[in-house]
Amino acid sequence: MNIQLIRKYWRTILIVAEMNIRQQMTDGFVLFTVLFQPIIIALLGLWMLKDKGPDAAIFVVVGSGLTGLWSSLLFISGNSINFERWTGTLESLVAIPTPFEVIVFGKNLANVTQSLLSMVLGYFVAAFAFGYPMEIQQPWLFIPSVILAVIAFISFGLIIAPIFVMNPGVRAWQNAMEFPIYVMCGFLFPIALLPGWTNPISYLLPPYWAAVALHGTSNGGASLNETLFAWGMMLLFSLIDLLIASRLFAHMLYKARADATLGME
Amino acid sequence: MKTISNNIRLFWQGAILSYVALFHWMRPIQYTASKILMPLAQMFFFVYLGTYATSADNRAFYIVGNALQIAAVSGIYGMSMSIGGDRDSGTLGYIFGTPANRLVVFMGRSFMNILDGALGVVIAFIWGVLLMGLDLSHTNIPALALVILITTISTCGLGLLMGCLALITVNVMFINNFVYFVLLIFSGANIPLADLPKWIQAISFGLPLTRGITAARSIVSGASLSEIAPLLWGELTVGLIYFVLGYLLFAVFEVTAKRRGTLEVF
Repeated sequence: MNIQLIRKYWRTILIVAEMNIRQQMTDGFVLFTVLFQPIIIALLGLWMLKDKGPDAAIFVVVGSGLTGLWSSLLFISGNSINFERWTGTLESLVAIPTPFEVIVFGKNLANVTQSLLSMVLGYFVAAFAFGYPMEIQQPWLFIPSVILAVIAFISFGLIIAPIFVMNPGVRAWQNAMEFPIYVMCGFLFPIALLPGWTNPISYLLPPYWAAVALHGTSNGGASLNETLFAWGMMLLFSLIDLLIASRLFAHMLYKARADATLGME
Repeated sequence: MKTISNNIRLFWQGAILSYVALFHWMRPIQYTASKILMPLAQMFFFVYLGTYATSADNRAFYIVGNALQIAAVSGIYGMSMSIGGDRDSGTLGYIFGTPANRLVVFMGRSFMNILDGALGVVIAFIWGVLLMGLDLSHTNIPALALVILITTISTCGLGLLMGCLALITVNVMFINNFVYFVLLIFSGANIPLADLPKWIQAISFGLPLTRGITAARSIVSGASLSEIAPLLWGELTVGLIYFVLGYLLFAVFEVTAKRRGTLEVF
């Protein structure tokens, strides 16, 4: 996957994303993952952090939205290729002239974008159900942070999906990979609470930098330099992830054709 | 006498076979990921969130609450998949076609999930002691074991009811996930019940886990078994009510499905 492909196939990406959203809006598992679970976590967080005052509310809203982004990426984007395999459409998608990673990019775009809904819903829950004054402190920095976070998550998802396809053993760990990222990336509490030796691991995770940028710009706790650094890290990881993903997709498709195991688990 | 021995045989075969069937797709690595590491990670998340929200002094409150909540993994997911899985795998018709005692079939399905659920909670407590500094020096361990067992039984009662709902809906995982996450709020695992609105408190006391978590916290802080006995009786009663509701619902679905010819219609 590279930038040229995105430029060339942007219409395809948008169509795939649209179709994916339409299809997933009828799936109970997807609805729960992208909407209900983050809202329940937001409610929990708002209750638990109520003694920290209104400032914590925007932190919880952004953090619970990030949990939705990650869960969606892990369970829905992670299985985006396997889903086509289960429904018998994988062979057709691989055979069409459009590069396969473009299709998966579009699917990930849909998953990540629809997950942002949970952040919006969380905002309204905090504002209306709990009566917190909700204000994004640096809106002009927050918006680019959201866009860069979306790109970082999509790129990360492009690595996860082929890894899950090629290594069913890794996919077995899927259920165990959800909450550790919530913890390691500081979605709902600072990673300073964690043992020091875990911090370098956090720095290697793109969702951590998304959390730094989104929390910092929403509650105004980050300086411009800190936000710019987080943006830079998200861009850097996105580029690295896209590069790795293009190799992984090429390897996965070659292996599937050579072994004739495209539709087999 | 023969009926009794047949029912005992049915119970054991049902217990063992349903458990084997549930794990026919689950390898040891998946079991480790779903039943040991996922609960541990979830515990870590809520314990850190709770101590960040309040104080590190309240660590035991969150560890005990979330350790007991692990009972819902087997109780809700395991039970509903044990019951509802028959519909997916096309064996529901055979169950309805046998003259087997439905109650014994139900009890057999629950048994292994209760053991597995209780084991999950014990593992969570071990994590709590080893990794999170939970102090059990004032704890009456046999009494805590009884709390764990009763709480797991009552949670499986709710799971049985969920399993019956799985027989009439395709969105089983939606319902299971929803109930599991709602329990994180309503059971008092992470929020003191007194802090919740009155209407939520009213619902909480109609749910499994709530009294069990309260009892476990009391035991860990040094209470005796007699002090928490009313809570345990309450927890057991709630669980039994759900078992009975699940059983009755199953009977209703059986009659309805046979009459309408919708046994395996999704």
